[in-house]
Amino acid sequence: MNSDRPANRSDVLRPKNVGAPIRRTEDPRLLTGSGEYTADRMPDRPLHLAFLRSGQPHAKITRIDTTAASEAAGVVAVLTAEEIVDDFKPVIPFSRMANYYATPILPLASGKVRYVGEAIAAIVATSRYLAEDALELIEVDYEPLKPIARAELAVAEDAPLLHEEAGTNVLIAREFKKGDVGKDMAAAAVRVGGRFEMTRKAPLAMEPRSYTAEYEKRRDALTLYTSSNIPGIIRDAISESLSLPGHRLRVVAPDVGGSFGSKGSLYPEELLICIAARRLRRSIKWTADRLEDISSSSQAFSEIVDAEMGFDANGTATTLQADVIGDVGAFSIYPWTCGLEPVQVVSFLPGPYKIQSYRGAVRGVATCKPPTGPYRGVGRPVSTFVCERLMDMGAKALGIDPLEIRRRNLVRAEEFPYRIASGIIWDKTGFIECLDAAAEAAGYVQLRKHQAHARESGRLFGIGIASYAELTGIGSRIAVAPGMPINTGSETAKITIDSTGAITAAFGVASHGQGLETTLGQIIADDLGARFEDIRVVQGDSDEVPMSTGTYASRSAVLGGGAAKHASAILQAKLRRVASHLLEASTEDLEVTDGKVAVLGTDRSVTFKQIAKAVYSDMKTLPVDAREELTATYTYDPINGTTAAATHIAAVEIDPATCFVKIHKFVVAEDCGRIINPMIVDGQVHGGVAQGIGAALFEELIYDDDGQLLSASLVDYVIPSAPEVPLMDVVHVESESAVAGGFRGMGEGGTIGAPAAIANAIADALSPFDIDVSILPMTPERIFRLIQNAKLKAKEKS
Amino acid sequence: MKPAKFDYIAPSTVDLAIEALVASNGEGKVLAGGQSLLPLLNFRMARPSILVDLNRIEGLSYIEDREDRIAIGALTRHRDLEHSPLVAARLPVMSAAMRHVAHLAIRNRGTIGGSLSHADPAAELPMLAMFYDASIAVRGPKGLRTIAAEDFFVDALTNCLEPDEIVVEVEFPVLDHDGWAFEEVARRFGDFALASIALSVRRTETKLEGARIAVMGVADTPLRLREAEQELVALPLDAQLPERFSEIVASKVSPNDDLHASGEYRTHLLKQLSKRALRTALEAGERTA
Ligand SMILES: Cc1cc2nc3c(=O)[nH]c(=O)nc-3n(C[C@H](O)[C@H](O)[C@H](O)COP(=O)(O)OP(=O)(O)OC[C@H]3O[C@@H](n4cnc5c(N)ncnc54)[C@H](O)[C@@H]3O)c2cc1C
Repeated sequence: MNSDRPANRSDVLRPKNVGAPIRRTEDPRLLTGSGEYTADRMPDRPLHLAFLRSGQPHAKITRIDTTAASEAAGVVAVLTAEEIVDDFKPVIPFSRMANYYATPILPLASGKVRYVGEAIAAIVATSRYLAEDALELIEVDYEPLKPIARAELAVAEDAPLLHEEAGTNVLIAREFKKGDVGKDMAAAAVRVGGRFEMTRKAPLAMEPRSYTAEYEKRRDALTLYTSSNIPGIIRDAISESLSLPGHRLRVVAPDVGGSFGSKGSLYPEELLICIAARRLRRSIKWTADRLEDISSSSQAFSEIVDAEMGFDANGTATTLQADVIGDVGAFSIYPWTCGLEPVQVVSFLPGPYKIQSYRGAVRGVATCKPPTGPYRGVGRPVSTFVCERLMDMGAKALGIDPLEIRRRNLVRAEEFPYRIASGIIWDKTGFIECLDAAAEAAGYVQLRKHQAHARESGRLFGIGIASYAELTGIGSRIAVAPGMPINTGSETAKITIDSTGAITAAFGVASHGQGLETTLGQIIADDLGARFEDIRVVQGDSDEVPMSTGTYASRSAVLGGGAAKHASAILQAKLRRVASHLLEASTEDLEVTDGKVAVLGTDRSVTFKQIAKAVYSDMKTLPVDAREELTATYTYDPINGTTAAATHIAAVEIDPATCFVKIHKFVVAEDCGRIINPMIVDGQVHGGVAQGIGAALFEELIYDDDGQLLSASLVDYVIPSAPEVPLMDVVHVESESAVAGGFRGMGEGGTIGAPAAIANAIADALSPFDIDVSILPMTPERIFRLIQNAKLKAKEKS
Repeated sequence: MKPAKFDYIAPSTVDLAIEALVASNGEGKVLAGGQSLLPLLNFRMARPSILVDLNRIEGLSYIEDREDRIAIGALTRHRDLEHSPLVAARLPVMSAAMRHVAHLAIRNRGTIGGSLSHADPAAELPMLAMFYDASIAVRGPKGLRTIAAEDFFVDALTNCLEPDEIVVEVEFPVLDHDGWAFEEVARRFGDFALASIALSVRRTETKLEGARIAVMGVADTPLRLREAEQELVALPLDAQLPERFSEIVASKVSPNDDLHASGEYRTHLLKQLSKRALRTALEAGERTA
């Protein structure tokens, strides 16, 4: 069933669609307001949900009185943990990892609240307005407990515990080790290090989380419309929790307005809405408002990394060590666990470099904040920020150009496959090629000259480089999240030609903005020999598509695309067999293109429609055993998956008067293997870099020492808008991967490289003050402080 | 994030609007552009019993030339001020400031009456009202009264109006100046200012004869810096002036720390902007002097 062999490069002779900048099939409907998002669902007389959320960071709930709320206008039901206790089983984010405590996922807080924003009670009413009115009538008595707001304090022996049953606030601890770091550090010519931090960030999809549970009385069945990017996992988890078999629980992810990871886990509200719909035998809707989305959707980063890197005199990085504290928030998430983000930081920290010895220790620590979860780039924005800062610090200490030091340390073409010190294996990818291509596109040599000039006139001009590699399209040999018992290694395509000749391709991989309807259609058009416009791609509906875990971890083009290629080949073989009957020619003499099968060198051909008629609607033309249903299903597993890599170069200038950072130039050279649609690839890079700029310069969820979120609206949580995102130059290094089609995943890279490149550029710009950049975002306020402190120090010295 | 229940009325005259406010016993609120009020309603931070919508009242939106003054109707949108040739010619500082007010969509709705009444300490129009010594005409059950800008802004988001009073017009004196400048720093284009200064000078070739300074983003209300104006005029007109001026301005403010910036950083910004603003104003003045 599976195939790990390299795809035959000549399997499609003249690709017409793959490689072409075809306009996205999705766009006409999305841009004209004809899309259907979850909130657009209009079930019969729906009820509406609103959640009472904790204003306390950490407290025992001693009493909830819902009497007045139950009697309020329009209220149909008020649900509390106690009320629904028999309606579900808690969902456990299980993992085989040692030193991991899985906090159970409950629809509503039970006994205790653990962060501001945690749902305590739910009101179902005839309108959202009335539901929110009734929220004010619920009385909750709390017995406040000490808030746990800072991960570094939560690891102390005498710290209050968030989950008493765990016996510790450290929900996950892990260490990676290779070689003798102590010895290598001692032998190093230069050691650089520091305490690095990336603060907490909101994924902030344009569409907030949204769920509509539609109850079907006739079958006592539920359809959950969800803004999820993992509808398959959601279906199975809710089925298990509610003891509702799959044929009575359909889960659909319709058009989804972005996720960036925030819609990639099971949420308490998702469980609750199904429980409520089933209980009340009514359809129910809920869409998070922006405040709820910011304060209860999974968040990103929040890691402190103490790291040190050793170099020999030639600038070869020889050794690396790091201690990471991840502030994972109040709960582990399903299915990825709270280990996902912080553990990836240590497993990717050595990056694309040949560092020989390594020690990376990580602790994921529970605090009174919403859980962290997957966020575009997972772990790698932080690991790349730290590793690339260390590279630049090493370069500076040794007097080597930052470009040159990377060239000396990157894994070279002849050294692949290469196992880095943390154990990850990079397959052949254009590491050096990306570095060179980025340097060329940026006009690196010229840029340095320009910088020298600018410096002479006192301007703060800096250039920053970041190189990274990531695993994408991961197959069954590697778990996407550590120790997680879910099959993330394969994806299935089911392609069918119906009796009208129409082609429908069903994929489990969902789409939340990636344009998969277009790119998967492009692959099928070429490999099946169909016309692009004749193919309908169906996704995200558990009644229509094969089982799938969804779209995350830059996997869908690789796994879905691979499945598409194989299924297309099987279906094309069927078409050839039928056509050989109809055309009275041998299958080898047939050519399949543009929705027709033709006898090579003649004008004789049959269309897919004619073939379909012959198979399905005609009793005479074909012998019985030749009337095979025109459908093919294939499950593809790339086993190891494939590496993707890029180099980002940023040129920035800091205005000493305002301490604002202006990005003058941003170049990305990336290797995503064979490009399916260059327009979509560019769009993914642009969007990713924009988010990376947010992480580097703007975005920060600020929690005070009492666990209160201070930046809870878009006035206070500042994201880059169009004027803050510069034009970018994107260069593609298309080195084909070994998986089917030669693709590599590329949805996350922009977010991985940009923060590090910008951080390095800022540090370079500030080097006249001898300032190191160790925390992101580098807000004007932080830059102001750094410069003030540096000036003070200089004064003290003189 | 849905507002609590409220009644709604859209009267056709100011008198009817005042009547509705009076009837609400102080629980009603006026709705103008809604750009500041609606978020407050949605967060349930404002819970008026009734919204009195001014948008159906005729004759509240105008920009009128009254020789030494420009009169602006309370319902005049930000966008009209931004694009008015009259404002550009007679109130150039205001004209320059308007494009810093929020974003296009918000400028299309937001009104001068709403902006002044909302009294955001980092909003441009309240600061301009202070800068120009605007007089704010207000109608209530007791009739019409005129309030000097300096008396209008009481605290952050607090004005001196009675709950049943409505701003109907704002008059801006046309200033006599040889040079002027408006400088602002906001985190992103269209955001509320971190710091801002409006400045105008009258000068001869050798010395300053008068100055006008207003700042915002550095206190609970916009500030007119009258002391600094006098100190500036007393200084010699030399190359050191911008630097010395910036010290003076900085010494007049002590902004608090908040989420967006520390007080120290805001003061730093204001200093930088003061320098820049004075240079610009002097250069322009040099050309005309
Ligand atoms: C994203 C965003 C960014 C913004 N950025 C800026 C900015 O950079 N600079 C800036 O200056 N503003 C900014 N604003 C605010 C904007 O300018 C508002 O339009 C303005 O502050 C209020 O005007 P309004 O007409 O919308 O008033 P409304 O929202 O309708 O009312 C505001 C308050 O004033 C009262 N009120 C309104 N009219 C009157 C009246 N005639 N008499 C008595 N009381 C009245 C209302 O009862 C209410 O209390 C921003 C707004 C948003 C949403």
